[in-house]
Amino acid sequence: MKKLVLVTAAVAAFCGVAYAQRPAPNAAQTIQSRQASYKQMAAAQKAIGDQLRAGSPDIAQIRQRAAFLADRSVHVLRWFPRGTGPETGIRTRAKSEIWSDGAGFQRAGANFVVAARALNRAAASGDIARIRAAFPAVGRTCGACHDGYRAPAQ
Amino acid sequence: MAGAPPTGAGVRIWDLPVRLFHWSIVLLIPALWWTAENGRMELHLLLGEILLGLLLFRLLWGVLGSSTARFASFVKGPVAVIRYLRGNGPGIGHNPLGALSVVAMLLALGVQIGLGLFASDEDGIYAGPLSHRMPDLESAHELAERHETFFWVLVALIALHLLAVLYYLVVKRSNLVAPMVTGRGPAGEAGQAMVPAPWWRFVLAVALAVGMTLAILKLL
Repeated sequence: MKKLVLVTAAVAAFCGVAYAQRPAPNAAQTIQSRQASYKQMAAAQKAIGDQLRAGSPDIAQIRQRAAFLADRSVHVLRWFPRGTGPETGIRTRAKSEIWSDGAGFQRAGANFVVAARALNRAAASGDIARIRAAFPAVGRTCGACHDGYRAPAQ
Repeated sequence: MAGAPPTGAGVRIWDLPVRLFHWSIVLLIPALWWTAENGRMELHLLLGEILLGLLLFRLLWGVLGSSTARFASFVKGPVAVIRYLRGNGPGIGHNPLGALSVVAMLLALGVQIGLGLFASDEDGIYAGPLSHRMPDLESAHELAERHETFFWVLVALIALHLLAVLYYLVVKRSNLVAPMVTGRGPAGEAGQAMVPAPWWRFVLAVALAVGMTLAILKLL
């Protein structure tokens, strides 16, 4: 039994390492789809901000966008397999620090998840004051990642 | 305060609101540039809103203010500009050529603030208070790029203004900076001085500027 556990753990560890080091099967596609996802997230972010800027915010609109952001936030860290950085020669603003400072990137990603979920809970409550209070952290945690791990445009 | 003894040389040229507006701009424009360059966008947006209020005040003061603050007193046609260039007697306040520069800077400031009001960063995180009026994020972000480019138009006009001030100081031996600080300077050839505006006009201009600013930020 103990042997079985050890073997299973070894296999799992090997698979984990193999997965982490496996080059992206299609780097171009990965880059393109994460860029598209980020554009959708930016649009959602702007849409929530627009509602908060408007005289009478539409809670349903905010709720839908906040749920979308919270849902996507969990996936962000998976959009950067090794071999999808600037070394590919493909147009991407992902900096090599994403991989050289993996721990920092993971932390930044986790902060975003926490903020996006908090906003989603606030949106679900329908309390505008709570939404207003939770919203800036989403922008800040998005921005924290952009500052350290995204190259400037052009 | 008409009977107050003169502090410093000459006659009154610029009232306090004009001077405060001028030096606020001197502080705000570098601060706005710095906050934008360093990603301090919350502060950038706040300073931009303050600048909007100041600009609106200056435009109102250009109608309600003291004689040298009024557009009607200093915005002149090309004939006056040419006469001035031929060395025809300067009065007090903006000369006809300098007035063009003032109008250009105020206009550029208006354009820049207008662009900022509707602009958004590419991530939809920091956006101007009227950016929800843009059809989508992409068009709002395009305005942000124009906002960035147009800043250099503002810089060019300010550089021209500074060069002109330097030219007056070095070549024409006329210090334009001191009057903008103290409000006083040499009387014009006809010996005229500024006709001040009563205090209630200042209160009215401030109230109108604040009201208009809030209306633009909150109601539009």
